[in-house]
Amino acid sequence: MSTPTDLLDDLTADLDAVFVFSPSSGFYERFEELDDEVVVIAPENTVDAEQFVELPLAFENIRDRIRFGVEGAMERNFVGDGDQVGCVVSVFDGDHDALVRVRADESMHSGVYDLFANSRADPGVIRDVFEVVIELGKKGQKGKPVGALFVVGDAGKVMNKSRPLSYNPFEKSHVHVGDPIVNVMLKEFSRLDGAFVISDSGKIVSAYRYLEPGAEGVDIPKGLGTRHMAGAAITRETNATTIVLSESDGMVRAFKGGELILEIDPEDY
Amino acid sequence: MSGAPAIQFGDEIGGPLGVIPERVWLAFAVFALAALLAWVVVRINAGLLRRAGVPETIEGTAFERTVRGIGTSTVAIVSQLTGWFIILLGGIVALSIAEPTYAQQFWERATGFFPRLFVAVLILIVGVIVGDKIELLLSERLRSVKLPQIGIIPTVAKYSVFYVAFVLALDQIGVATFALVVLLALYALALVVFTVVAGEQLLTSAAAGLYLFLNEPYGIGDRVRIGDQAGVVQEIDVFVTHIESDGEEYVVPNDRVFEGGIVILHDQ
Repeated sequence: MSTPTDLLDDLTADLDAVFVFSPSSGFYERFEELDDEVVVIAPENTVDAEQFVELPLAFENIRDRIRFGVEGAMERNFVGDGDQVGCVVSVFDGDHDALVRVRADESMHSGVYDLFANSRADPGVIRDVFEVVIELGKKGQKGKPVGALFVVGDAGKVMNKSRPLSYNPFEKSHVHVGDPIVNVMLKEFSRLDGAFVISDSGKIVSAYRYLEPGAEGVDIPKGLGTRHMAGAAITRETNATTIVLSESDGMVRAFKGGELILEIDPEDY
Repeated sequence: MSGAPAIQFGDEIGGPLGVIPERVWLAFAVFALAALLAWVVVRINAGLLRRAGVPETIEGTAFERTVRGIGTSTVAIVSQLTGWFIILLGGIVALSIAEPTYAQQFWERATGFFPRLFVAVLILIVGVIVGDKIELLLSERLRSVKLPQIGIIPTVAKYSVFYVAFVLALDQIGVATFALVVLLALYALALVVFTVVAGEQLLTSAAAGLYLFLNEPYGIGDRVRIGDQAGVVQEIDVFVTHIESDGEEYVVPNDRVFEGGIVILHDQ
């Protein structure tokens, strides 16, 4: 007969590390006496934790959030391959209400952490593009759903593997993603066809780009359209990351190395 | 005898008060008026400073914090300074009315000195606040630079401002400051020479980068050759241009663009 306490004992037996997601300082103090490794995973290190992984997006999906935390902690050698990790998270808004036990190993590896931390472009730039795309997905363009394709990083190569569809509205301008006015501009320009090209440091190089990568060997889920195909294929031929907003189902997807790395629903943010 | 008219007045007031000459009464009146004026000026000054947004601007500076610690504020001190100045002036005028011969001498010296002292104190206060504020702004700017020794820069900037304010204040009250000014000039000269010598490359690069920004002779994605390096332009900023070819990324200082010129490669 298994009571909830027994169940919890099973979950917490022989843990190598505890991951605490976005703790308040009072909540974090309760973990400080723990012998196990304690890793804090949060947007900001407000509790001055020694071991900390920065969360660039408040992933609504718990699996993504935990994956990101585990991959980040493995990357920084907070935990080793095969370690048992207990994750204290909040599934619903507010207090921490769930404990998830995972094994940190290569099979966990989906590349979510690499997408942000080890892309060619600066992590802040990727995050800013995500924010623009999520907002675009939530509000659409004048209320109508809109699709968009952003190619971030390795801009020189991307420019050489694409051609202009029309005059580049960003020619001789020096605007960067993340500037407040730029988000409005990008929203307006998103009705144009073609891709946005953004450099490693976040400069918007071009809009209206027709991507011309070879699509051989690109394996993305069936049912996605030409925009996703083009976005995925360009990441195979260059070191860029693409972030695609689907016009038909409204999802935001990120591709790297020709593979779908992350899929999020903008409505959750 | 000058006593006769005074007794006449004294008759009207009557009693022991009559002994006091009318001149003293006038002096009292002047002093009271000065006090009232000072009070009004203090109120107006404080209001003006507050409306000019001074409290928000100087928030967090060490001076403001110290002053807050003793239960007042910079605005109060500065505005009260004008008040004290007026009261002091009123006091001197009153004295000169009550006792002309004694005050005459004092007055002659003081008229020149007190306004200067007032300005000197004001300069000191403003200097301390500006210095603190500069330290605060600089350290905020440099926070992202993770180097412990970087903390010296805001401190040096702060004390430079203090020093200038100190010299100005001393100069106001007529202390010989020539040596200090020479010291200041030497310090400024050293700073300029240091910046020019150490930052020459950076300055020329920035000037070239400015030209590249305005005219954009080449953009991201263009194939160029700068000196020995050829490749695709990946990034242009004020100081450097990133050129990549075959997985090797060259970071070329922009002044090189003007030194050797750029070759833009079309169709290879």
